[in-house]
Amino acid sequence: MKLIYHKIHHHHLSHIRKHLRRSQKLPKKERHSLLHKIHQQHRLSHRTLLYVHEYGAHSNAFKTIIKESLKVLLLASLISSLGGIALEEIKSVFIVIVPLVILLPLLNDMLGDYGTIISSRISVMLHEGKLKRGIFQNKELGQLFVQIISIALFMAALSSVLAFGMSIFSHYPPQANIFLKIISLTMIDVVLIVALTFLVSLLLGIYLYKKGEDPNNFLIPITTAVADFGNMILLFFLVRVFFG
Amino acid sequence: MSFFDHNFREIFGAQLVSILGGLIAGTILAIYTDKILLIPGMFILLPGFLEMRGSISGTLSSRLSSGLFLGIIKKNRMHGRIIRANILSSFFLALVVSLSLGILAFLFSYFLLGQANFKIILIPVLAGVLANGVEIPLTLFFTFYFFRHGHDPNNIMGPFVTSTGDITSILALLLAVWLI
Repeated sequence: MKLIYHKIHHHHLSHIRKHLRRSQKLPKKERHSLLHKIHQQHRLSHRTLLYVHEYGAHSNAFKTIIKESLKVLLLASLISSLGGIALEEIKSVFIVIVPLVILLPLLNDMLGDYGTIISSRISVMLHEGKLKRGIFQNKELGQLFVQIISIALFMAALSSVLAFGMSIFSHYPPQANIFLKIISLTMIDVVLIVALTFLVSLLLGIYLYKKGEDPNNFLIPITTAVADFGNMILLFFLVRVFFG
Repeated sequence: MSFFDHNFREIFGAQLVSILGGLIAGTILAIYTDKILLIPGMFILLPGFLEMRGSISGTLSSRLSSGLFLGIIKKNRMHGRIIRANILSSFFLALVVSLSLGILAFLFSYFLLGQANFKIILIPVLAGVLANGVEIPLTLFFTFYFFRHGHDPNNIMGPFVTSTGDITSILALLLAVWLI
């Protein structure tokens, strides 16, 4: 009995191996449909098949990672850095406002995190077909927006208080009007960038999904880069308005 | 559908952790403003540099987690072909992106600000090596650690990588500026 099981198992595996090797020679679009057939025929998850295909024994994992990551990484870093040009212009004003210097990496992180959450949640909704009936009828999407905006506003206020508190330790004058300006600036920045990220994720996600691409692969690097870029540009204007 | 559901609690918790790392990094940046931010082109370099470190370590952790969940990477073996390829490719990506960021910052500060500062090319390369020399082994170790202890690294490593990454990146930049 055990021998028969092993024979069937071996036969099954050689079939999958043969399919996976064939798929490596195919262009990306055809490869997706073949992997889907193996998934249906052999009851293996898409995730397993993709992982074995990309990083399995017959693949060059180093080359695969470099090939798939380099372009997106360079593009994301380039977009983020372009936003930095605006801040370089107002450097002399910016570095004097110590709480803003403290807030710079914090905002960068926070907005990138929201971009990641929004993108991955919208990707899942698209895959599950939840956005087919129209985006305004979807309660889950509406709730996600309200939840993210609420958390973002709370975190922006908390970050401003903490950054202002820390700046006092470095002998920054504790003035109420500066504090109010910092908290208003941070909250306006966060709300506008989260809204922009949401809009970009949604529109781009729907477009990519309709084109037959997996939104997971593109949305996160693009939305985090857009959030970084938007944050820098908006900070440039807000600093000029509040402190110029 | 409750407003304060598990999604709300997870995002809220992760953001609190993320804020802590960002706050420490920001304070270091504020203390050493004269050493880091006054260098011409540093504002062009900084957002991309911080973004790069999160992207590289974040995707490294995500790939390792997938391998661990699928059983392709064994939870008690922190070495092997796939892990080696992941570490080497992450270092290689960090070097290439750091160099590109340096060149970009140099070109922008030269053409837009009229300042030719060659150090701005070397600083991110050295800082990239230093930061990723700490961050990549840390990511590898903690992805395995959380998985072995029954946690899903996908839920924890995101804020962990951004928080620790910010601190290591700012410290590495400071060290690189001091060395160069």
